[in-house]
This record gives sequence, C-alpha cells and structure tokens, in this order.
Amino acid sequence: MIEITIDGIKTEVLENTKILEAAKGLGIEIPTLCHHEALPPDGNCRVCQVEIYDREKKKGKLAIACMYPIRKPIDIFTDNEKVRDARKSVIRLHLNRCPQAKIIQDLAEEYGVEPLDERFVEENDDICIRCGRCVRACEALGNNCLSFSGRGWDREIVPPFNEPPEGCLGCAACAEVCPTGAIKVDEKDGFREIWGRKFRLAKCSRCNEYYATEEYLKKLNPDEIVEINLCPRCKKAEEAKRIGNIIQ
Amino acid sequence: MILTSPADLEKYRRDLSDRKTDLKMRVRVCAGTGCLAGGSKSVYEAFLKEAEKHGMKTGIDFAADKTGCHGFCENGPIVQIDPQNIFYQHVKSEDVPEIFEKTIIGGETIEKLLYRDQKTKKRCRNEENIPFYIHQKRIVLENCGHIDPADINDYIVKGGYGGLSKALFMKPEEIIEEIIRSELRGRGGGGFPTGIKWKSALEVKSDRKYVVANGDEGDPGAFMNRSLMEGDPHSIIEGMIIGAYATGSFEGHIYVRNEYPLALTNLNLALKKARDYGFLGKNILGSGFDFDIQITRGGGAFVCGESTALITSIEGFAGVPRVKYIRSTEKGLWDAPAVLNNVETWANIPKIILRGSDWYSDIGTENNTGTKVFSLVGKVKNSGLVEVPLGTTLRNIIFEIGGGVINNREFKAVQTGGPSGGCLPADKLDTPVDFDSLKKEGSMMGSGGIIVMDDHTCMVNVACYFIDFLAEECCGKCAPCREGLRAMQKLLHGLTSGKAKPGDTLLLRDIAEHVKETALCGLGQTAANPVLSTMKYFPEEYEEHEREGFCRAGVCPDMYSLEIDPELCTGCGACAKICPAEAISGEIKMVHNIDMSRCVTCGSCIDTCRFNAIDVVRRGKK
Repeated sequence: MIEITIDGIKTEVLENTKILEAAKGLGIEIPTLCHHEALPPDGNCRVCQVEIYDREKKKGKLAIACMYPIRKPIDIFTDNEKVRDARKSVIRLHLNRCPQAKIIQDLAEEYGVEPLDERFVEENDDICIRCGRCVRACEALGNNCLSFSGRGWDREIVPPFNEPPEGCLGCAACAEVCPTGAIKVDEKDGFREIWGRKFRLAKCSRCNEYYATEEYLKKLNPDEIVEINLCPRCKKAEEAKRIGNIIQ
Repeated sequence: MILTSPADLEKYRRDLSDRKTDLKMRVRVCAGTGCLAGGSKSVYEAFLKEAEKHGMKTGIDFAADKTGCHGFCENGPIVQIDPQNIFYQHVKSEDVPEIFEKTIIGGETIEKLLYRDQKTKKRCRNEENIPFYIHQKRIVLENCGHIDPADINDYIVKGGYGGLSKALFMKPEEIIEEIIRSELRGRGGGGFPTGIKWKSALEVKSDRKYVVANGDEGDPGAFMNRSLMEGDPHSIIEGMIIGAYATGSFEGHIYVRNEYPLALTNLNLALKKARDYGFLGKNILGSGFDFDIQITRGGGAFVCGESTALITSIEGFAGVPRVKYIRSTEKGLWDAPAVLNNVETWANIPKIILRGSDWYSDIGTENNTGTKVFSLVGKVKNSGLVEVPLGTTLRNIIFEIGGGVINNREFKAVQTGGPSGGCLPADKLDTPVDFDSLKKEGSMMGSGGIIVMDDHTCMVNVACYFIDFLAEECCGKCAPCREGLRAMQKLLHGLTSGKAKPGDTLLLRDIAEHVKETALCGLGQTAANPVLSTMKYFPEEYEEHEREGFCRAGVCPDMYSLEIDPELCTGCGACAKICPAEAISGEIKMVHNIDMSRCVTCGSCIDTCRFNAIDVVRRGKK
C-alpha cells in the first residue's frame, strides 16, 4: 500500500492505482470527458488535470488523473488555482470546437470559462470532441467498425471508407458511451438507424417492447431463435422469479 | 564469409589494411543528398570513364568511391583526392578530365577548384586548412565522407566493429558502467543519460527486450541523422549490437522515414553485409550472442519522431503518441522493455567502448560531454553539416564555422531545436550550445537543427511558419494541441496580415502557455516554443504588428513601406531589374526611387540590394 494525500486528506492505495480512482474512493470528484469506466483509458481530453507534488524532488507538476499511476507517496491537489486554470484553458478549447455540446457548456459554466470570440468558431454544429470513446467501445465489443481518420484539426471518427459499416450490429454502444451525444440513433417502427444503416429490432417476448437489433442477438446466440429472447429487464424479472420459487 | 571470433576480425582487418595501402590514388566523391542534387553522380561516372580512357583499372591502379556527406554542402559537389587529401569544391563532370590529367596523373593541384578563404583570400588545399572544418571535432562523422558506406570493408579498415569485439569480452554491467561514466546523453534532444536508460532496461525482468533506433528526423532544414544513416550506417548498427548485448535484447528496430530513400538503401545494404560477416544473426563473432535488426519505414509523419508515437507506428498502428507515465524501458514496444535512442546516440557507442569513457567525457563540458552534429542552414554563408564539442558557443558555430551571415547582413536571430525549439537574439550568441544552457534561455538543442536568420526576417512570421508546420503535423489526439494550435494559427495569421485585434498578442501567449502545460506528448508540450521564445525576445515586433499593422522586417505583405536611402544607393539597378511590379525606376549610377502605389511589397529588392540601401518604413510616412 502507498500512502498519499489528496487535497490534504490522507489515504492508502494499492500500487498503480490511478489518481481518478483514488480520488473517487474519497468522494472527490474530478471532471472527465474521454474517460469511461468500462473502457481502457486514453487520456486525450485533458480535462482531468490535477497537480501532483513529488516529495523527493520537492516539485509540483500537472498530470491527468485518469492515467497517472500512483507508484510512490505523493501529494495530489485536485482543486487548486493551477489545476483550475489548466482545466479552464482546456475547456475553453473544447467549447470553441463544440459550442453546442451540453456537457461542455455545463463545464464552461461551472468553471466560469469565457468563450473565444467568433473568429475562432468554425463549425457551429459540431459536437464531437474526438475523445474516441465510441472507437474504444466498438473495439472492446470485438467489432472494430469505427476509427479515427485525418490528423490535427481534421481528425474525425468514421467507419471504414466513410461508408455504412458492414460489420456493424447496430448495438449502439458507440452512441451509449458518447459523452456529447454526437452519434445519431433513430428508432422508429421497429427499425433502428445508425451510421447510415438500418437494422430490424427484435421484440421482447414478455413485455413486447423492442430492445435490440436482430443482428446483435444473432451474434450473441447464433443458434437460438430470436423471438423467444427477453429484454434485459424482463430477463432479470424472470430470473428473480425463478430464484424466488426455489427459495420458497 | 563469416567472422567467427574477435581475433578472426582483427586478422581480417590487418589483411584489408595492407591491401588498401597498396592503392596509390583514391578519389572520394561525395554522394550525400546535397551533392547528389548538385550532380555528383555524373562526376563519379566521369571519373570511371576517365580511368578507362587512361587504361587504369578501377580498384587496382586507382579507386573511386562514392562516400557519404562531407559536410560542406554549400560548396558541393565535393571531391577529395587521397593520399594528398586535396579538397575540390563545386566540381562538375566537365572538370573531371582536367582533374585526372593534372592531379591524378600529374600530381598537381588545380587552384580554381580549391576553396578560397573569404577572410585571408587564400586558397585552401585540404580540409585541414578550411575554417569550416578547423573549428569542428568529428567523432560521429569521423567516417562520413571518408568511407564508402556500401563497402563494409571500408568501415572495418577504419576500426569498425572493434568496439563490438571489445564489448563481447565485457560483462553487460561493465558496458553500461562505461556508458554511464562517459556521461553520454540522448542525442535526439531529450538529453536523458543513455547509460541510466540502459541500466533500467537491464534491471527489468522480461523474456523479450528490444533496442530501437530513431531515424525519423522530421525537422524542417535538418539532415544530421539522414547524413549519418546514408554515410556511415555500420556505426549505428554496431552501436545497437553493443546496446542489445548490454541490455539483453535479441531484436532491434531502426525506424527510418520513407522520405530518406538513400538512407534506407544504405542501411539495408549494411544490414545484409553485417549478417554476411557474422556481426548480426546467430552466435555473433562466436560469442553465443544472437541478435538481428529490422527496418521499419515511417510514413512521413513528424510526430513519429516522438518516442511513443514511433513505438505505436512500429507496432503497426497509426503513429499516435500515448500517455507516457511509465518509461519505455519498462513497458515500451509490444509491452516489453525497449531501449530507444536516436541514431546519433547509437553511433557514439562503439567509439566510447573502443576509446574509453575517460576519452569521451574529456570532450565537451561538465554534464554535457561529447560532440553533437548540427545542420547549419538559413542565412549563413557556409551551410552544411557540422560537428562540434558540446559547449561551443552559437557565435563560434555561426561566425567561425558558418562564416557569418549571407551578404554580410545584420544577424537577427538563430532558431535551434527544430520547429519546437526557440529563437534566440544576437545578445544570446555567446550561449554555449548544450542541453542545459539553451533550455535556460527558452530554446533547446533538440536533435540539432540550427537556422540562422538575418534582419530581413520577421519574427512573427517565423512563429507563424512553425505553428503552421506543427498544426499540419499535429496528430489531433489531444484537445490542447489540436484545438490550441488551430487557435494560435488564426491569431498569428491575423497578426501577419494586419488584421489583428487589440489584445491578440496577450491571448496568443495565454493559449500558448496553456498548450505547453496541458498537451499529451512532446510535440504538443513544445509546440508553443516558437511563439513563446519570439515573444520573449522580440516583443516589440508583436506589438507593432498588433497595434500599428507594421512589419519592421519588411516581410509581411502590405504592412510596410519602402524607401531607398540616397546615401547608400549606388544606382546599380539590381533592384529595378528584380522588381516584378516595375515599381522601381532610376538612371544607372543615379539614386533609384520606389513608387509605392505600384509596389506589391514582395521584398525582392531588399534581398537583392547588396548595399542595404532599401529601408523599411511605416506606411503613410515619407
């Protein structure tokens, strides 16, 4: 165990614990955008800045909480002037790119960020912050239908060749993890449209509600007939009933 | 032929040396990139043809070698003739019959092909008399220009692979101790002590370890690594073998940019030869140690020179940096420990092992030992490849070796360390060039680019150029670099086109400072340096651009007016001739005049005038 302090509070953590996790354990909140608990960290949004003070070197420096592994006793500051100043500058740049993204607007308000003037705004309706949570989610699910293309300012997230992706199951995990709601999902009349593809939705045999695309269910259970499947909520309810019966 | 032991190698070396000294005449034609562009290939071919005409057998009566860069690129194509060591410059293929007749057969020197010292007005017969070379100390470049990089025997005759055979008798810990004592620091610009890096890699337990050479030189105007890879590839390979042996690695990678075709050819050839001779592969020199190297070609992204992006690229992914809180000696390539050094660092290794750490640490200054190769370019008389001990001052490099500013214009600034380095003004010329001193002044040594600028250089425009370059090369992964560089670009373009708003300079500084603090990788963290260093040393230029729309250097279009100084104008007419807008008029030998209503402010006349008679003035003023 390694002894550290976060904002003056002493605590002990296992070696290689990330600052974000350690702070969470103490109920200290650090803002994040590109971080998602279920996905590998990437450290690209740069919002979760904290200051770490090295006791040996007697020097403080900025680090990102989502990826900094704690390996020796250090003092961490999550809300001092330097940290707030760094976060403010990062949020201002995000706000300039995505002035319409709700989560960015909220952060800007919380941190009192003044936006750059209108000369800097280029695409008013762009709400993608290029964090790649969608890319990582699709990769984690084994589909790899999304990736980055272009570089610098032109970096964007696209399916291969910018065409409706063939391997896509329409699971919409990408949209689910997107922090700004930049990925469009349309559901209507038993169909789901995403990334330019249309998927037929399956109904839950118990509650009769649409709950997943047929492609997705086929991939999960290639042998089972789709119709008898249950939505996650009903599956839980059925399972609870079964266990209840056993106990009785 | 496989050499099976260090003793075997030494015997082979002796036999080669005997054979080589039998040769009477040897012509060394520079086939570095600069000279090749100047036509040195046809010069080389002309020598072969001429030899045939005189009934001489190449390789027996006389040898003609295509060598790597001789360094003095400004005066290429360069031909040197042994054993007299005669140095000919600006050689054309038409000169070859005369060289053959007079020098090779007759033994005389051709005066007009010799370099003329601009200070003493004397012709210099060989390298040792030319000021450009006198102030240099060539260790890494020792063989460059002296050996044929395609011939491993040339390298062996010069003592090549002697460092390796010595290292094979040492324990890994002893080798590392020797490197630590030499105080060699990473030549890519990071300046991390090489020996310490190796030590931490040795201490990590892992069944796989890698050594990696960074040859992804991408700085505009830089060609140090290129010349080394082209001119002396075996020195890099030998260094890597020693490094692998010392850290317990079996596999090496050299990462070379695809834009360096000659470097790729020569490295590939060198690897093949090294395998043929038993320096690479199984059981190297009979020691039981196995090691081989492969080449990865970069796709041309500047960011791949950054260590984590380079590693990602070798792994087969798009070259994008990773967050680097864990050192690559612990978790680098394919999650295994990797020792990543610049090609120049690797090339130093065999020499340190062979001649000892004391010899090496005596060169340079405290904490900054050894030499460093620089590419000296820009508005300097002697452009070229320069190697000096660390601690040599900027003044020495620019004025003694470089010969001063072109057209004897006024020196204004020197940019060191590539696009992410900084610009230093004239009063910093006595700064010693090393890792720490330049950093203290707000610039850095980087991998060794030195760009000299004269008074006709606008510092805001320079910052704009580098930020444009970096914005283009930014990978776009992290927000501060991606969005921040774009915003900085807009502000700088506003400043250089007279469209800036009050407060833009302050805003620019604010964004620059924050990008430096919050960006993910080395590129982003240093991207603001061109802005911050020019602002620090030339604040008045930013102020004039923002407040008055005035560019004192006469560079930013429509932001200045021109006047001809009647005291200085000689009426030579050169400015009138070059002016594309026919805005300059005047009788020959009479003071000329500029019609500002026609002038397009291209600045050609300023560059052309040899008498500095064209003054840049504020607009609307007479």
